Amino acid sequence: MTECLTKTGKKVLTKGNYAIANAAVIAGCQCYFGYPITPQSEIGEFMSGKMQELKRGYVSAESELGAINMVIGAVSTGVKAMTSSSSCAISLMQEALSYAATDELPVVLVSVMRGGPGLGNIYPSQGDYNQATIGGGNGDYKLIVLAPSTVQECVDLTYKAFYLAQKYRNPTVLLADGMLGQMMEPVEFGEYPYPEIDNSDWALTGAKGRTSRVIRSYGPLADDRCVFLKKLFEKYKTIEENETEWEEFNTDDADIILVSFGGPSRNVKSAMKECRRQGLKVGMFRPVTLYPFPSKRLNELAGRTKKFLVVEVNMGQMVRDVRLAVNGKVPVELFNKPVGSPPEVDDIVNEVKRQIKE
Amino acid sequence: MAALTQIFKIPDSIKKGAKYSFCPGCDHGVAVRLVGEALDELGLRENTIAVASIGCSVTIYDFLDVDSLEAPHGRALAEATGIKRARPDKFVFTYQGDGDFASIGMAESMHTALRGEKVTAICINNTTYGMTGGQLGPTTLLGQVTTTSPTGRNVEYYGYPIKIAEHIALCDGTAYSARVSLDSVANIRKAKQVIKKAFEIQLHGLGFSFVEILSTCPTNWKMTPQQAHDRVRNQMMEVFKPGVYKDITADRN
Amino acid sequence: MEKNFIIAGFGGQGVLLAGEVLANAFMMAGKNVTWYPCYGAEMRGGTVNCEIVMNDTEEVSAVNKKEADFVVALNQASVERFVSKIKKGGWMIANSSLAKEIKTRADINYLFAPITKLAENVGNIKMANIMALGVLAKVSRLVTLESLTEALETVIPAHRKHLMPLNLKALKIGYEYDLLPV
Repeated sequence: MTECLTKTGKKVLTKGNYAIANAAVIAGCQCYFGYPITPQSEIGEFMSGKMQELKRGYVSAESELGAINMVIGAVSTGVKAMTSSSSCAISLMQEALSYAATDELPVVLVSVMRGGPGLGNIYPSQGDYNQATIGGGNGDYKLIVLAPSTVQECVDLTYKAFYLAQKYRNPTVLLADGMLGQMMEPVEFGEYPYPEIDNSDWALTGAKGRTSRVIRSYGPLADDRCVFLKKLFEKYKTIEENETEWEEFNTDDADIILVSFGGPSRNVKSAMKECRRQGLKVGMFRPVTLYPFPSKRLNELAGRTKKFLVVEVNMGQMVRDVRLAVNGKVPVELFNKPVGSPPEVDDIVNEVKRQIKE
Repeated sequence: MAALTQIFKIPDSIKKGAKYSFCPGCDHGVAVRLVGEALDELGLRENTIAVASIGCSVTIYDFLDVDSLEAPHGRALAEATGIKRARPDKFVFTYQGDGDFASIGMAESMHTALRGEKVTAICINNTTYGMTGGQLGPTTLLGQVTTTSPTGRNVEYYGYPIKIAEHIALCDGTAYSARVSLDSVANIRKAKQVIKKAFEIQLHGLGFSFVEILSTCPTNWKMTPQQAHDRVRNQMMEVFKPGVYKDITADRN
Repeated sequence: MEKNFIIAGFGGQGVLLAGEVLANAFMMAGKNVTWYPCYGAEMRGGTVNCEIVMNDTEEVSAVNKKEADFVVALNQASVERFVSKIKKGGWMIANSSLAKEIKTRADINYLFAPITKLAENVGNIKMANIMALGVLAKVSRLVTLESLTEALETVIPAHRKHLMPLNLKALKIGYEYDLLPV
């Protein structure tokens, strides 16, 4: 499997997990550290061979705590590095993510969601929307969160994750799910399309010919902390202004707009088309960046549609952000499935019809 | 008048004007200085990345004039591993306390040793959590009174203290493991040689190198500096015996 | 046009691999395709299935579809599980070596072929999955033997390349099996 992936040229049929791993290699990921967990173990398996073949860094870490902190160590020296994991194991990384956000380090984390809470199960899920966008670490911080919906997008957004992490010196999460991780589709691996970011003004490389540098999150003085956090949130504002990304279809005249992210949005898109075929004025909105969340655009759309229907494979997480964005202008309803493959297209269509009648 | 010769100075690897912030009688100051001297003598300052840990040891970056990264509690050796794998040409060491190294960070510490990562760990063992006010830690001696062992450490509630250097020596990836004390001038001189040796082991790419430094905590022990050093000598060194527990270069000499 | 397929059977019958070969064949023929496996607890010992959605217009397809155009069922459990999911006028291709030749629906087409038996005759029972693809190619007329051959070249790893002639033989026998609906 691993040897058949190539850098450029023809399409190859590959699993989302392999697509992400191979894209990371092309993006210039110099070190991978990981600990196995279903349904993303293929990423670590691929990396174990590939990184050694390319004489790059690889460690089968003792735990997820080890893995994410190894990434912090590696990226602090200015190289690109990543880890990947799932759900309950990403819970273990929250402390380090809070540090990395405060240290302003370009950590890349691939999160392939499975069912939760607790050990949960290994079926696809979107139950970690909150974990990724709100986070479980302490203090005020934000992670950039990108949500692919196809295997090709797994590739493209992996490239982007490395770029945004570097550009903003901010931990970045590629939030996939078990469905995308295990799904195979034809993909093309193009060249890494982004410019390399110069990090020579902050990376730890040994204090040769310059003053020594400290990357730290501890700030003993309250005033210093205020200044730092305000500056950090200025950065987040810039990210929100520059990097918010979404897709929308048929929203101009829509009576109801379906909102969905990630793998399940594929079925939502099909449902929207089926509704249109049946003459219903239905639109669709898919956030690609979950942080920054396209709140502004949703608020604009709230001015012209009558209702939003959020479709998620969890108990209703993104619906909260949609409601905050819409701010009471029109109703925001939820159609969810707690865990598993996406809701069937017909079920979504029927729910849309029910919502229109109400 | 005879010409003056400078025989004692602040090492280049120690920041100029750094304000001493450890408690009176604490051995951290001596330990940091020895590390600074060793970095100077091996010409490492400009090629070093240090990893600070959580506890009193975190302030090492206020003293050492080298690039430094502050790790979350217990994760110093994971971060050191990441640094070394990313930049194998850099000299990488951690500076940790016993709680960081041998309690919350035990998994990271043992596995770094088992992998034979080419990094060095310096671990200050003062038998207590100093920064948080003197609670029981992994190395607290049997019978020792702390704020969380008010009648002394007993086996029933707390189990036994860990002998770190001996355990690390058992790991196949460990190239060097030693314990030193700073209770006397002679032992400080010995400690310096051991730290240098540990650094040289890394420079030769031989594997993981480890130095446990027995240290005072007069504030939390509620002792004078002199009493504290007597305690190191009379109680700690009885249980945590100084010595070289592993040195893979020893047989070659 | 969109067509979707379910390939199902016991763990170990090579169901996922057959799906991967089919998906590769569609890709090589220039179609959009998605391969989506069932996975999880079901992978251990029980029935396994995967869904292949082929589409020559839309770039992104829905998965976990309510109905399938074609079901390839390599055992009785798979027949029972998926027969109700077949679209009106769709096909149930069942392995009569391991499934009963009973038609429970009048609105779909059935093809029963002794796939396991035929694979034994070829000399390797593990060829049943590829043989089933041969049957499917003929029935569906949506994929050619050439595309499937090309797909096998891609999917079969280097250290198994010696099995290529056997795979091609199985594919051909499946394709040439008497195709009149029975």
